[in-house]
Amino acid sequence: MKKQIIRFRLNDEPVELLADPAQSLLHLLREELELTGTKEGCGRGECGACTVLLDGRPVNSCLVPAGKVEGKQVITIEGLTRSGEARPLQEAFVAAGAVQCGFCTPGMIMSAYALLSSNPDPTREQVAEALSGNLCRCTGYVPMVEAVLDAARRLRGS
Amino acid sequence: MSYRIARDLEEALQLLREGRGSARIIAGGTDLFLQDLPEALVDLSGTPETLGICAEEEMLIIGACVTHAEAAASPLLQEGATVLAEACGQVGSPQVRHAGTLGGNVVNAAPAADAAVGLVAMGARAVIVDTADARRQEAVENLYADYNRSRVDSSREILLHFAMRKHGPGEGSAFKRFASRKSLSLPMFSVAAVVRLEQGLLQEVRLVAAPVKPAPTRLPQVEQRLQGLPASGDTWRLAGELVREAVTVRGSTLRCTAEYRRHLAGVLAERALQEAARRAAGLKAGESK
Repeated sequence: MKKQIIRFRLNDEPVELLADPAQSLLHLLREELELTGTKEGCGRGECGACTVLLDGRPVNSCLVPAGKVEGKQVITIEGLTRSGEARPLQEAFVAAGAVQCGFCTPGMIMSAYALLSSNPDPTREQVAEALSGNLCRCTGYVPMVEAVLDAARRLRGS
Repeated sequence: MSYRIARDLEEALQLLREGRGSARIIAGGTDLFLQDLPEALVDLSGTPETLGICAEEEMLIIGACVTHAEAAASPLLQEGATVLAEACGQVGSPQVRHAGTLGGNVVNAAPAADAAVGLVAMGARAVIVDTADARRQEAVENLYADYNRSRVDSSREILLHFAMRKHGPGEGSAFKRFASRKSLSLPMFSVAAVVRLEQGLLQEVRLVAAPVKPAPTRLPQVEQRLQGLPASGDTWRLAGELVREAVTVRGSTLRCTAEYRRHLAGVLAERALQEAARRAAGLKAGESK
């Protein structure tokens, strides 16, 4: 497999590495950059566990060819937790009991964060829509929607 | 494998020429890992010639690399091509809509791709350039060679943009689909309708159904039978019956039986026409005359 140099910004820091551009961004993050907060569920764009932000928009990193991130900005769950930006969402998820096994949680937080970045006062329907690409096999979604609405209130209040 | 991000259309064409058939265009890439990988990929998604949505007099021009999310959120399309904005808003999931493009939706050639159904209902034409710099225009429904096989050869051709006439006065449109879940499910069936009303009568009807054939399928016999009829419940019921008779459907072990699909075709046609007529009359959902 032919490697090529890929340069991009990852969690607000420049990254340059020699890697196979035909692997998925998910694989690049987990196996080459050891950022294992992003999870692999289905590996074919149907579960959202691998959601990251590409130039600010939520995408399934399992469907993004690594070569595509050249020159772009990628934010993972590690980036949000390190900067503290995920804190209100994390606290709201814990308070609402929106976490059971936790496997889908990083993806859920990324989708929720993307929503609240563009819409600080979403309706219940808009939250459900924003989370509709993230599957959870434990909680039944209601606590997550509550958690995102709660985080939105906390963020507006602060 | 090599991966090159083209800066502009000319560079993309040059990379295809250098590839001599072994390089292939990709846009959003969301279907890439579900297929065999080619030797070289040319990423078109950042080329300015394929981006943006604009209105030129009565026409709408939509770049092939416009994402489904951009199309769904575009006021120009919500107003002037409602059926298309609505269809784009129902593709896959938010994550897929932020990556996948309208051009990719068509060239990937899936038989019930939502955006493609909306484009055909709008009578959209695709503008395509090739490595010899020849430019051609084709109706979107003519771009399908077979199920999941496009007539656009991505190793030497590039779909640049779509052009369509936007809705005029008295026109309205709607897209209806049914799937086992609202998100992340392929539709069991979908119907798109565009109508033009004059004094409460249907002057023009365009009806598109999928999956019926490899391409989203216009139903001209049904469209003709509805012309001149009043925009009323009786007309929508008749339309439902006609559509049920007109479509050829196949059962699918994963999605539903042929019988159920035929039933859905009728129900969705009724709903799509009713909603399109409401919009044509300037009414909101739920309001009736």
